[in-house]
Amino acid sequence: MTQVQTPKVVKKKLFSPIWLLPIIALALGAWLGVKSIRESGVEVRIHFPSATGMDIGKTLVKYQGLTVGKVVDISIDDDLQGVNVDVLMDYRSSPFLNKETKFWLVKPKASITGVEGLDTLFSGNYIGILPGEGESASFFEAEISAPVITPGNEGLIVNITSEKLGSLDVGSPLFYRQIPVGQVVGYRLDSSNKIIVTAFIQQQYAKLVKVDSQFWNVSGISVDASLAGIEVRSESLAAILAGGISFSSNDKSPSAENRHEFALYDSEKQAFGGIEFTLTANGTESVANNTAIVFRGINIGRVTNKILTDNGISLEAKIDSKYAELLAGTSSFWLEGADISLSGINHPERLLTGSVINFIAGSGDPLQQYPLLTTKPEPKNSNKLALTLDSDTNPGVSAGAELRFKQIKIGTVLSSKLNKALTKVEYDIEVDADFSSLLTKGSYFVAESVLSMEANLDGVAVKARELNTFTNGALSLVKGASNQQLTNGASLKVFASSNEADNYFENSSLITRQLFSNDAANVVEGSPIYYKKMQIGQVNKVDWQRKSNDFIIDISIQKTFASLLTDKTVFWRNSALAINASLSGIEVEMSPLQGAIKGGITLGLLEHPAQGRENQLYDSKFLALSQSTAITMTFPASVKLAKKAPIRYLGHKVGEVESVVLSKDLTELDVSAYLYGDYAANFNQQDASFSIVDAKVSLSGIEAPETLITGPYISVVPGISTQTASRFVGLIDKPFYNLDNALTFIITNNNLGSINKGTAIFFRGIKVGQVDSYQLISDGTGVEMTAHIESRYKHLVNSSSVLWDLSGVKVDVGLFSGAQIETGSLETILSGGIGLATKEVTSVENMIAPQHKFPLNAAVDPIWLDWAPKQSATD
Amino acid sequence: MNDNQTSCTLGKEVGLTCCPTCNKVTCANSACCSRCDAKLIVRDYDSLQKSWALLITAAILLIPANLYPITTLTNQGQVTQDTIFSGIAHLVKTDMIPIAIILFTASILVPVLKIVGLTIYLTAISFKLPISKKKLMMGFHIIEWIGRWSMLDLFVISLTVAVVNMGQLLDAKPAPAATAFALVILLTQLAAKVIDTRLLWDRLEIKNDSSTDT
Repeated sequence: MTQVQTPKVVKKKLFSPIWLLPIIALALGAWLGVKSIRESGVEVRIHFPSATGMDIGKTLVKYQGLTVGKVVDISIDDDLQGVNVDVLMDYRSSPFLNKETKFWLVKPKASITGVEGLDTLFSGNYIGILPGEGESASFFEAEISAPVITPGNEGLIVNITSEKLGSLDVGSPLFYRQIPVGQVVGYRLDSSNKIIVTAFIQQQYAKLVKVDSQFWNVSGISVDASLAGIEVRSESLAAILAGGISFSSNDKSPSAENRHEFALYDSEKQAFGGIEFTLTANGTESVANNTAIVFRGINIGRVTNKILTDNGISLEAKIDSKYAELLAGTSSFWLEGADISLSGINHPERLLTGSVINFIAGSGDPLQQYPLLTTKPEPKNSNKLALTLDSDTNPGVSAGAELRFKQIKIGTVLSSKLNKALTKVEYDIEVDADFSSLLTKGSYFVAESVLSMEANLDGVAVKARELNTFTNGALSLVKGASNQQLTNGASLKVFASSNEADNYFENSSLITRQLFSNDAANVVEGSPIYYKKMQIGQVNKVDWQRKSNDFIIDISIQKTFASLLTDKTVFWRNSALAINASLSGIEVEMSPLQGAIKGGITLGLLEHPAQGRENQLYDSKFLALSQSTAITMTFPASVKLAKKAPIRYLGHKVGEVESVVLSKDLTELDVSAYLYGDYAANFNQQDASFSIVDAKVSLSGIEAPETLITGPYISVVPGISTQTASRFVGLIDKPFYNLDNALTFIITNNNLGSINKGTAIFFRGIKVGQVDSYQLISDGTGVEMTAHIESRYKHLVNSSSVLWDLSGVKVDVGLFSGAQIETGSLETILSGGIGLATKEVTSVENMIAPQHKFPLNAAVDPIWLDWAPKQSATD
Repeated sequence: MNDNQTSCTLGKEVGLTCCPTCNKVTCANSACCSRCDAKLIVRDYDSLQKSWALLITAAILLIPANLYPITTLTNQGQVTQDTIFSGIAHLVKTDMIPIAIILFTASILVPVLKIVGLTIYLTAISFKLPISKKKLMMGFHIIEWIGRWSMLDLFVISLTVAVVNMGQLLDAKPAPAATAFALVILLTQLAAKVIDTRLLWDRLEIKNDSSTDT
């Protein structure tokens, strides 16, 4: 206990190191506290029109993608016109919260360039902030849209005015030589209804923008599709999607200032400007805006606008500035489209691109206005031969048609129009100077048809020209015979076809005649006229003459055959098929098939001057060659007479029935007939008799048996009168015709008995004559029979002659005398007969007069049969 | 004095002390424990200072732990940060009051009470406050027992962070307050642990004496 250990002196520490811990915590806490107080932010109030898309606590304020604040409260403003959004801003943003600072609501946007602010889909809209100058502020009015200048970039702001926005949008890039140098930061519609696109150009490129820079839209894809290929141009993929603006600058110009105004052109071509002028036209169907103006195949400009004016259409056009010097006072413009012809297609690409305006340069000062021509103007200095053509009708030839000679182009049709009198078509043509010598007096043009088909009975001819004739037609030159050259302004003829031309020239050298016919003769216009089966002319016209009810046929005959037209010329119609059938045989004559169809006329020559009516068209060759004379007859209606029935004289044909017409009162037949010219003179006496001959079957035989087959005919007996007639009364019975000075006399009897017409008179059993007719004596006391004795036998008859009836069979039966049967020949048994005997020699004294009457004895006196005077036939 | 000795005699008064490591009663004069050779300290007066320091630190940290958001929740891009209190308020709003109560208890009530309790405890030791020994010990035990439950919040956060991790769609992350809160819990636990309770007992004896005296 006493033992005292030296105490360990432990120096008591005032503070344990553990106290560092709270100090550190305190310091840390204090620091955190201070920091949090410092960083608690600045609360500002922004006035928005609406709170759409904003949520308390969620909607953030972002600056360059950095969250700098957060909406902490939204309240409706005092006058209920909007909302006050209280935003707690990051403490670091307080320097930016100045009077000019702008706030706007950024909404998520899904555009073609992509989805902008995908995060906003989750985090919601946010409020953009653009720091501004001025005094510090805590109340702001929100912008309706994002301000044009995105913060944080130094550079150049330019305003580009445009008519339309196109696909430009905020963010669309600006290109300079395809390098993106900036972007569109905003656009708005200004008071003059123009769109002002504000673009931002980055600082390092700002100097590229000059005061005269040209801006143009490169939005989308520029597809230049031509037949040469398809060229697709675009500035960048982003430009395809978002649109874009490209610009070009002149290096020497001064740089543009901020907010400089530029115009936005639709394309690079437009941007580069050019010379503007006006084209006037009447119609501009194929011209559209942007129709190209082409010079030697190079696009040098385009139509920019179409305006309807009082005088037509006014086209505003522009020529690119680099081609500006081409435009001159004598320049001409004409519309040129795809030229489709059957020979090919010129400029097929224009089917797709439309017509172009072609251009040729000229000289002189450029004008403000040019006419737009429809066709290519011809060089003015050429020595072209200008002529006019006229045609009866337009054979399908239009302006631009080629003039050809031997199918070589020698000129062009400039225009086609009706002449002033509206009777013909006139063409203005130009013949190239090289060929002007071809056009001589007498030349003419024939329209060429693409396809000419000539089908006739000779065959079918198909002619085809090269197919580009199809569009405009073409005229072929047929050179005249003369060497005298034509001068400007001369006029030539155009024919629709070479046939027409031939016709024209033939007609001009043709001899025309008029033929008369009772009917139209089966001919038509164009029916041929033959001479010895060779065509020498044609029918021009067939006319009906009202007055005379006949037809006039105009014919023309080539001059070569003029010598055929004399007073010996006769014409007859060709019949398709002439069948000349007689008992002697059948003759068939066929005309050429052409003549059979079209009809035709044949010219023939007589040996002697024609007798008949001049220029009469005969029905047949026979009629013509025989120079028939027309007659008319009347017959009783009972007569069976047919057309073509012959008129015969002693069995020889001397004429022909042309027509048989029953008269209206049914009593007679009007028969018109011809008498063949050779015989006409013999039968046209007033007293010539015409009688019908029909077959008669009698016991004495068949009279005119041929008529059983051929039908009745007319028998003619010449007259003796000097008066001619053409109208006759036909007889039923053939009158006796004292043919060869026969001896005629009259036989009288009580009754006719078996005597009949034609009953023969026999002399010694030989027929020397016959009974020609019989009739009752007017007082009824007997019958008178006219008979004749043939001239060679007439000396056998004189006043001492006796006549007896031989008819029948005389049977004399007596009881004592027995039976005596007396007959003549078989003929006399059947048809009767008259016996003749003469007692004395005929002398001058006992010769009988023509009207001498002999009685007819009933029976023969045997003495008579013994008479045998020796007659001499000297006289 | 005798009464005191009979009823309760302090080891240091009889020259004995307890090994802080193996609890062997040894002579107080010994420098080391005869059994485990640990350094023997009769009374660790420094522990009071340490405890105070830790407690103050915890109290300081309690402020950011409650003011700062404890979690950052990203739900479909929307970032919401919740402080402990706003989280509880949110639960109340969504009618999850029992959970809210648990959370409130574990996250706010317990740490605060613990700090308050420890403050009273330490004040009572340092400034010899006339508080009943029994009450103090009971409070001390409650604090010690309940303190661990304050880690509930942190467990929830750590579990949530581990499980809910779907990027922009749904993501939970601890916020600064979580650290602070964890420190608060840790520091209070340490503060309770570090204190040499024998000092209390010394004071209590005095106090008890005085009380029994009166």
